Amino acid sequence: MTADPAAARLAMLLARTALRDRGAFEQLYGATRAKLFAVSLRIVRERFLAEEVLQDSYVSIWNHASGYAPAKSAPLTWMMAIVRNRSLDVMRRTREEPDIDDVLTQSLADERAAPEREALDRARAHSIRSCLEELEAEQRQPIALAFFHGLSHSELARHMGRPLGTVKTHIRRGLMRLRDCLARAAITEVE
Amino acid sequence: MRRPHDELAHALAAEYVLGTLRGAARRRFESLLAGDAGLREIVARWEAWLTPLAGRVPPVEPPARVWRAIEARIAGRAPRRASWWSSVAFWRPWGLVSSGLAAVLLAFFAYFSTGPRTEPVFVAVLVSSSQQPMGVVSMHPPDVLRVRVVHDWSNMKDRSLELWVMPERGAPRSLGLVRNEVGDTMITIEPTDPRVRDAKALAISAEPPGGSPTREPTGPMLCKGMIAPVQRS
Repeated sequence: MTADPAAARLAMLLARTALRDRGAFEQLYGATRAKLFAVSLRIVRERFLAEEVLQDSYVSIWNHASGYAPAKSAPLTWMMAIVRNRSLDVMRRTREEPDIDDVLTQSLADERAAPEREALDRARAHSIRSCLEELEAEQRQPIALAFFHGLSHSELARHMGRPLGTVKTHIRRGLMRLRDCLARAAITEVE
Repeated sequence: MRRPHDELAHALAAEYVLGTLRGAARRRFESLLAGDAGLREIVARWEAWLTPLAGRVPPVEPPARVWRAIEARIAGRAPRRASWWSSVAFWRPWGLVSSGLAAVLLAFFAYFSTGPRTEPVFVAVLVSSSQQPMGVVSMHPPDVLRVRVVHDWSNMKDRSLELWVMPERGAPRSLGLVRNEVGDTMITIEPTDPRVRDAKALAISAEPPGGSPTREPTGPMLCKGMIAPVQRS
């Protein structure tokens, strides 16, 4: 990650932010705000809400900068995850729906009594794109719509004119195929 | 080697990062995450995989007020986010725009007014932070304050909208709730009522159902506008 000078600069600014350096935090904001605002705006769709998300996210970045681990993720990835999460939080208050995934989450809670660590591998940006392209359109499309526009399962089903169960299956299978492809790409990179 | 629960962990982590894990399932997953480092690693991996896709989204500049708000919050100068009414900034930027618009809209009123029979003694055009006119308020003697919503807030249907009058000094005072739909809400109040007599501006905030529990605005301000007295020729 540090091979990329832009990412290295962001990592440095984040590290200084963790030390309560306001100037560094302002530079970090300047370097990332337009990207993060765009990401939130796509998901929440209302400027007013996206502004709130951005505000909350940067306050959270300020408060949790010391928790950023450069070894685990690129700085922008870490910040985007905060913004995406906050956007999804804000949205679910207005568009909440019951979901059978709760059953799965429950069974995971029961099974993961003794978690096993897996080695953390990493893939570059081009990998996700080429791996997405390997998917069939019916798997790729709902994944992209959900990622960029924050559509839920039922919104995807309505949008695509497909039964809910079919859309869920396509997403699950698509994601697992993506994982296998990305893991392969990571291994190839190491070699 | 992957065990079955790892498959499940991956499936849920992927949908969590993708955003399709919603509602109670999302919250439950988050509480699992808090106590499970292995699961956090799987989520981190999915974030590292999927997030670079967002690099494709064309950037959009946020308005300068976002940074001002962040700065105020991290400085601890504004511990309560709701105190928008007490800031000088409330009065500064939009006044001219609003009173200019009020003059324009007055003509519109004279023709299309359907409710109160008298001409208004003051009007205010309430605009959103992006300057979009959201509502028009007019005071009609003897005792009708008409709040005409021209754009509703579809994302605020679970909240109550509350109309506030902003005196030159002191805290805002509630004038009551406004329906979140395009159309008129009539509020009975006289122009000489102390609540409106020295009013300078009006604002609508989003509040919990039933209105603010504290007699002061607690939610975000949705729109505001300066009051423009109507000149009689």
